Amino acid sequence: MVCIKQVPATTAEKRYTADLRLDRAAAEAVINPLDEYAIEQALRLQESGAVESVGYLSMGPEQAAEALRRALAMGGDDATLVTDPALGGADAWATARVLAAALDKLAPDVALMGMASDDARGSLVPGAVAALRGVPLLSYGAELSIEGAMARIRRLTADGFDIVEAPLPVVASVTDQVGEPRYASLKGIMSAKRKPMETWSLADVGLSADELHGAAMTRVVEARKPEAKPPTERVENVSPDEAVTRIVDWLAARKLV
Amino acid sequence: MSNEIAFLAEFSDGSPTRAALELAAGAAELAAQSGGAAVALAYGPGAGGAAELGAAGATRAVVLGDDASPAIAHAMAAAAAVRDLAPLAVLAPATPNGRDLAAALVGLLAVPAFGPVRAVRLEEGRLRTEQATLQGAVITVSEPTEGAAQPAVVLVLPSTFTPREGGSGTAAVSEAPASEAGPLGAARIVESHPAEAAVANLEEAKVIIAGGRGVGSAEGFAPLHELAAALGGAVGASRAAADAGWVPYQLQIGQTGKVVKPALYVGCGISGAIQHRVGMQTAENVLAINKDPDAPIGEFADVFVVGDLFAIVPKLTAEIRRRRGL
Repeated sequence: MVCIKQVPATTAEKRYTADLRLDRAAAEAVINPLDEYAIEQALRLQESGAVESVGYLSMGPEQAAEALRRALAMGGDDATLVTDPALGGADAWATARVLAAALDKLAPDVALMGMASDDARGSLVPGAVAALRGVPLLSYGAELSIEGAMARIRRLTADGFDIVEAPLPVVASVTDQVGEPRYASLKGIMSAKRKPMETWSLADVGLSADELHGAAMTRVVEARKPEAKPPTERVENVSPDEAVTRIVDWLAARKLV
Repeated sequence: MSNEIAFLAEFSDGSPTRAALELAAGAAELAAQSGGAAVALAYGPGAGGAAELGAAGATRAVVLGDDASPAIAHAMAAAAAVRDLAPLAVLAPATPNGRDLAAALVGLLAVPAFGPVRAVRLEEGRLRTEQATLQGAVITVSEPTEGAAQPAVVLVLPSTFTPREGGSGTAAVSEAPASEAGPLGAARIVESHPAEAAVANLEEAKVIIAGGRGVGSAEGFAPLHELAAALGGAVGASRAAADAGWVPYQLQIGQTGKVVKPALYVGCGISGAIQHRVGMQTAENVLAINKDPDAPIGEFADVFVVGDLFAIVPKLTAEIRRRRGL
């Protein structure tokens, strides 16, 4: 089960609503790019016969169904969207709680995620879901493999890599080293329309808005432009020697040489 | 509820990591404001020697475990220690291990999470954190909602705090309350493969010379290494250069690599894609050398030299060596 998140494209200009939330309606929405690597990893495991089926799970507004259709166009079998008005502005804990509850129902051997989302960037959801479900976490995998009842990852360390393994079921997160995500084929796009997609409310996963502390225990109190930097000094159409003189002058002015 | 400030202190090869020393200084700063103590939650090989964190700012240290298991294996011990302490906040390094352990705490304790933040402070007793959005176009300040559970778990970017120097004293060390590691302890490191050659620690480098697609080959990194040596710095890379196999992945800077904050960052043949930018946007001084006058890095560098890095970098190295009498 690949957990995916719909995020605003990084190319889109971001806007904040009056209550300082990201205005998701105003930006083009895409599958979180790192989740596409998780999708690719899952599809490779399915193609090699290591897993029988690949499904997708997303929590988000109704439009997140588009992200699930796009994932189904890449491959895989079915999708589930958890959507509820009470989930707007969900924080890391609330997101993890909802995904954990949905995963308890779906009971996959592997809940697979991208290592981070483009918009939140905390990388907290995989570990929080593992803790809430009481299953091992294999995080930041450069590669995920499954042998019998064990899952293992190759994980980069400060000066090399480790092999980490855990008994199924697990929560796993992967990096962009697992292999470039495939493009959806025309055939894939057509067949995605016929693949089953379920929509669940908060109640369908056995939760209530009260239990989620109103979705967020954090709030943004201020959004502002960063401190203005002086404009870039461009050094153009000069000889290498002149460029070096300009660079060294700058380094000296900044007390860097 | 106490006024303690806890922080995750990872040990590696018998010593506290740089991140642990930074957070010790940060926790001590916050604790001085809250009227509590800075308490280390120490784990990893060497964590038994957590008393030495006293010199870094910690008043107390709770040892979660001193074995080399994945960080999240210490989650139940960390949660038990945090329940005991009831701190105002738990600072965690925004590293893979720090995030895993922090995430488990968020899940187990149902508490608010912040970050990765570039500043954290107390304003009239309220915790406030400051975070840059992906493009760095907006800075947001956040706080726990009224009635939110405590502690707040705060992921802190590298170099947000500066380790104390020449400090003294020892932290009072205690063991974590007894707990079962449970399923989170079931993930095991079954093989460890250290790199054949030493890999620079980019997080600690004051000067980083980074190479990208424009460097063209592994051999193309040679002049970057020479410039780094002349400036006493380290070599880093963009994802394109790491993917091409020109440098090891440990040198990759960016969203899926390291987050660095050097005094000087020099980008050579790096376009400055957003994924790279999020790893270096807090560098104090940014110099870019690129043949492409339209490279995005030209929009946020302090100095953007449009030119051939192979013509400029060796001359720059020679000039710096001359000035330094090398």
